[in-house]
Amino acid sequence: MSPRLSLIWPPILVGCAALAIWQGVVVGFGIKPFLLPAPSLIATNVVDNAGVIREAAVYTATTALLGLLIGIIAAILAGLLASRFIVVKRLVTPLAAGLAAVPIIALTPIFNNMFDITSRTPRVLVTAIIVFFPVFENVTRGLTQVPTAQLELMRSLNAAPATIARLVRIPNALSFFLTGLKVAAPLAVIAALVAEYFGGPQQGLGARIASSAANTAYGRAWAYVVAAIIVGLFFYLMVLLLERLARPWTGRARAT
Amino acid sequence: MSDTPVDSAPAPATPAVELNGVWKIFNEGLPTEVIALQDVSVDVGYGEFIALIGPSGCGKSTLLRVIADLTHPTRGEATVAGLSAAAAREQQRYGMAFQQAALFDWRTVRRNVELPLELQGVPRAARARRAMELLTMVGLADFANHRPWELSGGMQQRVAIARALAVDPPLLLMDEPFGALDEMTRERMQNELLRIRGETGKSVVFVTHSIPEAVYLADRVVVMSARPGRITAVIPVDLPERGEQTREDERFFVAVTRVREALRSGEPTEVGRSRVGEV
Repeated sequence: MSPRLSLIWPPILVGCAALAIWQGVVVGFGIKPFLLPAPSLIATNVVDNAGVIREAAVYTATTALLGLLIGIIAAILAGLLASRFIVVKRLVTPLAAGLAAVPIIALTPIFNNMFDITSRTPRVLVTAIIVFFPVFENVTRGLTQVPTAQLELMRSLNAAPATIARLVRIPNALSFFLTGLKVAAPLAVIAALVAEYFGGPQQGLGARIASSAANTAYGRAWAYVVAAIIVGLFFYLMVLLLERLARPWTGRARAT
Repeated sequence: MSDTPVDSAPAPATPAVELNGVWKIFNEGLPTEVIALQDVSVDVGYGEFIALIGPSGCGKSTLLRVIADLTHPTRGEATVAGLSAAAAREQQRYGMAFQQAALFDWRTVRRNVELPLELQGVPRAARARRAMELLTMVGLADFANHRPWELSGGMQQRVAIARALAVDPPLLLMDEPFGALDEMTRERMQNELLRIRGETGKSVVFVTHSIPEAVYLADRVVVMSARPGRITAVIPVDLPERGEQTREDERFFVAVTRVREALRSGEPTEVGRSRVGEV
């Protein structure tokens, strides 16, 4: 218990100290809220708008989760095909890399026009595209980078390619997949949030940040930012939890 | 799994392994052509223990892979118990162990040993029973439900050997299985292997680059040399019942010296030039 506490205390202490300095600087130098609102102002706004903030957080988190799931499923299917057929790999890899490099700000307006702007669909698609690449890249690597001795063993046991895929390649890809997910999960939250900046339903965190700032309600804008950070951290922690649960299968990869 | 127990089978007319004029040439006809095996012929008798020894690049691992049907000979043929190498692999007439234990982290120790049986469609209860039998034989029954990564290197190799024995094949093919172990563990594993072989009567083809290991384990040591990979000597080892005292026996040292000299005489005379292109 005490070694755990000794791990928890330092970051909390440093965080509190940073907040105190922040508060001191803002009050001391009389910095205007549009430049940097004081932590106390943000805290007041969080408390005052708790209900709306929670709704906005749930909305954006739902978009991120849907996009994450669709992106993951697409990436796993593409990874399976790419590891089986080199043609697919050569075709999909540059496409996925290219798509990942397209900025969200360019993608979102296009999807807003292509799909119903009043729905969640364009945002979910943008998120799925952002998620696709890191997951695809890692899953493909995990499916193909199997130690030679393990493949030779399976061939010596007269195992068919499909059996090797089921018993070796897919379980081998699990730890690689989790590595990809660790990158993709926080990205999904950012994508879902930024995608809200380009019109459509206004109940998400991104839309709320934009409209609060436009109304010079900087304290409230920052209160939504705090919620966005919490949602991002929550997604990241969920991946860490998955990693912990998968440990019996990925043991060595974790141990080293 | 034991439809053809070794000891009850009638004494077969064909050797356990027969290699007939085997050539393996990589990139044949290209400037990068490498003759990995040049006209290799050797027989392994039933219940015989053969060690393949030679410098790196002499083709000893390639030779083992030809027997295992993991690579095809360019010319010549390999048979296992009278079957073509391909048929022998399909019918699981050999078990194989590698330098890397090649265990699967996502399976328990027992389920790793069960794998060959699982691929043959052996019912769950029967394969669990067989796996426990084998784990008991290699002294790891208590670790059946552990994960491979919780075991030491020597223990992992013992699991790999148990797995190679799972379908009760008449032949064991081993590619430097103790190469990554420390000396103490290595000697213990050698005794263990000899005991298992004594209990099961398997024929063994064992690749190594350790002279004492080859002499200690084998009935015959096949000495190979590199570029092109070929057999330069076959040395029978005449030692009584192996045991710790064997390692200090006069005859052991004599055999070690003979193998060492055979390895030396197999080297090209221009030692400097032979190093060029060492892979």
